[in-house]
Amino acid sequence: MNKNREFENIFDDCLERLARGDTLMQCLESHPEQAEQLEPLLRTAQMARETSAILPHPEFRARARYEFHSALQEVVSKKRPSLFGLRTRLVTAMVALSIILVSGGGTVVMASSSMPDNPLYPLKLASEEVQMVLTPSDIDKAEVCFMQADRRVDEIVYLADKGDAQQVDVAAERLDECLETLVEIASPEEAEVVEEEALPRVLTVPTEEASVDGATEESVLTGDGDLNEMKTTVVCHAASNQSALLRKLMDAPESVKPALHRAITVSTIGYGRVLTIFD
Amino acid sequence: MYEKYFDKIYRYVALKVGDRMEAEDITQQVFLKAIKSIASFKWKGFPFSSWLFRIAHNQIIDYLRKKTKREVVALDDTLLTSDDDPQLVFERKLDIEQLALATKKLTRAQQEVISLRFAGELPIAQVAKVMGRSEGAVKALQHSAVVTLRKVLTGIG
Repeated sequence: MNKNREFENIFDDCLERLARGDTLMQCLESHPEQAEQLEPLLRTAQMARETSAILPHPEFRARARYEFHSALQEVVSKKRPSLFGLRTRLVTAMVALSIILVSGGGTVVMASSSMPDNPLYPLKLASEEVQMVLTPSDIDKAEVCFMQADRRVDEIVYLADKGDAQQVDVAAERLDECLETLVEIASPEEAEVVEEEALPRVLTVPTEEASVDGATEESVLTGDGDLNEMKTTVVCHAASNQSALLRKLMDAPESVKPALHRAITVSTIGYGRVLTIFD
Repeated sequence: MYEKYFDKIYRYVALKVGDRMEAEDITQQVFLKAIKSIASFKWKGFPFSSWLFRIAHNQIIDYLRKKTKREVVALDDTLLTSDDDPQLVFERKLDIEQLALATKKLTRAQQEVISLRFAGELPIAQVAKVMGRSEGAVKALQHSAVVTLRKVLTGIG
């Protein structure tokens, strides 16, 4: 019984090694006593694995990808803030502006580095609202959004460290809102129109391919230079934030991992949507 | 998620249903269902990929239940690899036909292990989670499945 189990373990270990690129001979040499019994089985398993490596047709792959993207857009667009929500944010910003004027700038500076469990945190959020309202150009507004998204990710990482899953979810929701605002700023048409070529993007570090062929007429941003620069900025922020969240996932307490997974999904979908604008 | 798992899910489904058109439909449904269900995804101590394969597994069960008689589009009609060498493609076609026939001799659980392990490329721990069995049980199934495949493919026993 134990011998059987031992052989099954060795067999599985060899399969893993073959999958990682080891040769059959290397595996057999590691287990000389079982080599005779292992060899035919490993050859069969290798054949089964290679034969299973079928690929879907390119037309199906393209069609499925488009359907997936459309469904993704539909789900995300349902989460867009209402006009009432935007108005509420404006009111919040005005209230915050009053607080800042009354309390003085020093408190705001202190609040800017506060985390969600700090009493000054609401002031941090309010000052961000004010900053957004007072920022005139779309490019500058986009920069503010990037900074705010970075802060939300820092907060998620901080809260994950503290094991506060509920607050990780809240911070992820704020990240979602932030990226949604970025989408609206970069291209107001994007939320309504699903471009046929607008497919989800894998978040990667910038490459030469990260350049943009040309600006669309609908885009709020003008000029190839602006768009190129903005796209590179998006890719950098996305890659950096995504890797920060993934790194945290490795050592976070088990209890916050589901919330971290949701935050990663929010980040992936959010930055992915922003990137599709530049396609 | 999509880019990473699309091919693996397709292979897994294709090997299980043995019909290209159905495999395409089911694969597409898996990802659409994943988007709709993402909000309800709950961390139960195993990776996201296991959840995705679980959806695929359930979609296949649904398909097999509702399966109606219609012409089957054979898997060998599917692209085998990106190689264009006709000789290699021909040899692989023979292999996949043999494999498809051989897997029919396996028990349902053995078929599941082979599909998840070789087509889905999942490690043993994740196969165990998807199937709701212990890792030891999955290793035993994997071993017995390959022994049976070997016998069938070489005409022994």
